[in-house]
Amino acid sequence: MLPATLPLLGMPLSGAGAGVADGAAGESVLPPAGLALLRWQWHEVEAPYLVAVWILVASLAKIVFHLSRKVTSVVPESCLLILLGLVLGGIVLAVAKKAEYQLEPGTFFLFLLPPIVLDSGYFMPSRLFFDNLGAILTYAVVGTLWNSFTTGAALWGIQQAGLMAPTVRAGLLDFLLFGSLISAVDPVAVLAVFEEVHVNETLFIIVFGESLLNDAVTVVLYKVYNSFVEMGSVNVQAIDYVKGVASLFVVSLGGAAVGLVFAFLLALTTRFTKRVRIIEPLLVFLLAYAAYLTAEMASLSAILAVTMCGVGCKKYVEANISHKSRTAVKYTMKTLASCAETVIFMLLGISAVDSSKWAWDTGLVLGTLFFILLFRALGVVLQTWVLNQFRLVPLDKIDQVVMSYGGLRGAVAFALVILLDKTKVPAKDYFVATTIVVVFFTVIVQGLTIKPLVKWLKVKRSDHHKPTLNQELHEHTFDHILAAVEDVVGHHGYHYWRDRWEQFDKKYLSQLLMRRSAYRIRDQIWDVYYKLNIRDAISFVDQGGHVLSSSGLTLPSMPSRNSAAETSVTNLLRESGSGACLDLQVIDTVRSGKDREDAIMHHLLSGGLYKPRRRYKASCSRHFISEDAQARQDKEVFQQNMKRRLESFKSTKHNVCLSKSKLRLRKAGRKKDGSADKDTPNGKPHRASNLPDTAAVILAVESEEESDSSETEKEDDEGIVFVARATNEVFREHKVPGNGSMEVCPSPRIIPPSPTCAEKELPWKSGQGDLAVYVSSETTKIVPVDMQTGWNQSISSLESLASPPCAQAALRAAHPLACAPPRGDELRDPLAALVTPSPEPHAGFTFAPSLAKAGRSRSESSADAPEQQELQPLMAPEDRGCLSPGTANARWLIQFNRAGRL
Amino acid sequence: MGNKQTVFTPEQLDAYQDCTFFTRKEILRLFYRFQDLAPQLVPLDYTSNPGVKVPYEVISSMPELKDNPFRERIAQVFSQDGDGNMTLDDFLDMFSVMSEMAPRDLKAYYAFKIYDFNNDDYICPSDLEKTVTKLTRGELTPEEVGLVCEKVINEADVDNDGKLSLDDFQNMILHAPDFLSTFHIRI
Repeated sequence: MLPATLPLLGMPLSGAGAGVADGAAGESVLPPAGLALLRWQWHEVEAPYLVAVWILVASLAKIVFHLSRKVTSVVPESCLLILLGLVLGGIVLAVAKKAEYQLEPGTFFLFLLPPIVLDSGYFMPSRLFFDNLGAILTYAVVGTLWNSFTTGAALWGIQQAGLMAPTVRAGLLDFLLFGSLISAVDPVAVLAVFEEVHVNETLFIIVFGESLLNDAVTVVLYKVYNSFVEMGSVNVQAIDYVKGVASLFVVSLGGAAVGLVFAFLLALTTRFTKRVRIIEPLLVFLLAYAAYLTAEMASLSAILAVTMCGVGCKKYVEANISHKSRTAVKYTMKTLASCAETVIFMLLGISAVDSSKWAWDTGLVLGTLFFILLFRALGVVLQTWVLNQFRLVPLDKIDQVVMSYGGLRGAVAFALVILLDKTKVPAKDYFVATTIVVVFFTVIVQGLTIKPLVKWLKVKRSDHHKPTLNQELHEHTFDHILAAVEDVVGHHGYHYWRDRWEQFDKKYLSQLLMRRSAYRIRDQIWDVYYKLNIRDAISFVDQGGHVLSSSGLTLPSMPSRNSAAETSVTNLLRESGSGACLDLQVIDTVRSGKDREDAIMHHLLSGGLYKPRRRYKASCSRHFISEDAQARQDKEVFQQNMKRRLESFKSTKHNVCLSKSKLRLRKAGRKKDGSADKDTPNGKPHRASNLPDTAAVILAVESEEESDSSETEKEDDEGIVFVARATNEVFREHKVPGNGSMEVCPSPRIIPPSPTCAEKELPWKSGQGDLAVYVSSETTKIVPVDMQTGWNQSISSLESLASPPCAQAALRAAHPLACAPPRGDELRDPLAALVTPSPEPHAGFTFAPSLAKAGRSRSESSADAPEQQELQPLMAPEDRGCLSPGTANARWLIQFNRAGRL
Repeated sequence: MGNKQTVFTPEQLDAYQDCTFFTRKEILRLFYRFQDLAPQLVPLDYTSNPGVKVPYEVISSMPELKDNPFRERIAQVFSQDGDGNMTLDDFLDMFSVMSEMAPRDLKAYYAFKIYDFNNDDYICPSDLEKTVTKLTRGELTPEEVGLVCEKVINEADVDNDGKLSLDDFQNMILHAPDFLSTFHIRI
């Protein structure tokens, strides 16, 4: 396809070719003498080169505009681009002596328009769109018809009244034709202006929806009038009028049907791309573009087709494609759309310079401006009055003003007027000039003033309040309630049909078009919950994790579903500006051996880097250095610890298996603890964390994780992959071969047995760490890989507050307990409970049963104890607390608190 | 509407108009709909205030309602006996609440009642769990449901008592955009 498109794209732009001395393009034009080869090459690449240069110029212009916030906050980007286009056009004209690089209808309709429409269709808030579909359709169909007839007729009227120059030779049909192309609100212009204005969603969707859907009407009117004009008004038969009306339905419904068919194909195709993820984004674009071209080919409404394709396929496509593909689709779509929009406005400006196409007539221009504004306002008021008889939420006067004023005209009108045949429409030049003036007036004057107007009128702005779970919940509930009440009263209204549709979708469409795994996972409430959790986590991380209040933090947890999240975590991270996600490796680790090796290396390095620090910490802990001071110093170390913990969270998935092993470990750990550390100053006998215990625990967990990971790797569907670092292997190669890419552990159960030992080494190990830390006992939480680093930081900060890691490390050697008492007191009362070694500790946690099994694993691991010691701290904060209260670190305590809250 | 007078006495109609947000015409239309539900039970002459109840089974057996997770709850909330058996008054009340004229507070109150399964004037976790389970049609595990409920309560629980009072609920719902503005039906 590429070879075919490039020349097409280039044609309109390249025009004069080598002779043009446009700034950027000129560089590559070399003097002919002796350099024939180079000259020949330029012609080879001329077309694509010019396209690339224009896009580059447009992009650079954008960058320049946005250097100044003041300018862009006042002047819409579209205005700036048009003005830039005027300047560039002037330069080209001055240099080349003739106008070049104009906006060609072919280029516009085939290449520039589709990405914008696809973008708006795909990201259209479908619920809002369908809730307001009635109003949108009314404005799009009735409004556009009204505008074109009245404008055309009124212009004809003033011509008859002699207010136009006699050189404007046009009959009623010509004016109706002109009215049809000038009356359509333009999606590109509306989008460009309204996106910066931020009016409330209802208003936006009505104006924007209208601009998209009126395409069908515009196309039909334009074609019908055009053929009438070409046939000559004398030859038009009555049957032709009937055909004209019929074609309205054919074009609009046909376009929509084409779009839906392609949406269906697209959804169906993505269902089977499990093994070729890489082409998923491409499929989306290809099929949507195919829909556009097909509709265009059949002379149906292409805009409608691509809009419906986007709206229709989104739900299923999003569920089917992978998380990375979603990101790719989103960004590519936005990039293409913004690129096309930029180029359109710039070329519009350039095209306006060409005075050879112009023929100015003041009467026509002023008349057109006046009438389009007048009739737009009249139409809106009349239609709104009718609509408000039926609407649940009536549109008030202020809304109507904005709607009238927001009727921007744009490149569609320009392209259509350029397409007119001068031999058939003698007044074409006048029409072109008028169209240019209208477009410039609406985009620049109205675009500039609409923002102050909206402010002045105090139009309800869109408030970007956070979506809440309550909202989602109540929305669903209310939908059902309303549908039920409508059913009871036997009134088949909107709610009734929506309910029917949802049931149909659930029973048939979703089953057919969604992957089974995706279908199962798709529950909106759960989705929202998951997204909220991620957001909370991110904001928590953004705050540097200094907020200890448990209320602010809910760990994302997904016990049984890996892939529920629709949102791309990466995006969330990026958008929230969190600096947390710096560890690219985390994101990419996923499955390949190479990645794993890299990860290992990375961790080795980081481990090495941290070592000196660890010692330092250890000393601190021995001396019972104040926690706060240490906390700051140890922040980094803690971050690593957090990483491990996060990973362990992931392992929640495997709750069952893990729980058993952990239980055993715990028991063993307890016994040991009790016997081993009786000398702890606090007098808590069990506190001592035994390295061997921890080691054993770790082993068990990891082995399970491995199995889990292997399983998980097989599933490609998950939107979010949780990755456990392979790094563990490095430390305990023999013990645990590989951590699964995904590890979900039941939070309660993943308990590293010996906290103290672990803590010492945690800092280093955390970097490598696969071990999870438990934040909440009851709830299992999964942290998306992307967020691991963020988590680590936040957790580490938490830990640091509670107890400096160094201290703990030191404790391992000496007496961990010593540190514990002070911290424990500060942190929370529950410590007392921890002091008692045996079963009580579990009270808070659900895991208690698992203790029995811990013993076994522990024995196994004992040999490896030293190595494992390091690992242990990372892994099981909570468990440790439970097992040996005395040893429990402040960290654990903190976490417990959180868990308790949860 | 030749039988208009035979269904209700003018006094009855006036009373209904006072108690609901409907006009006479709408009241009559709703009455015929009510009568449609159980033609053999509901007499066409209502002048003597028969107080007939349409049993819940009739309502719940409507094919349209088969899949609606809240049909039972709605019937319970709006019926005076709490079992879902509806009198004409209950029936009119139900639509009255849904009408555009009904104040937001009233709507919020009834919405709250629908959530409050155990009628203790609080939406407690167990109530929410029921709601969520109904909404998700059992696709979430109990553990997940618990997590969601916890989050919902955390979001709206202003006084931190672990359950949502009517005040919490109204506070949350009245500030949310478009919540109640869409919570009505045109008849």
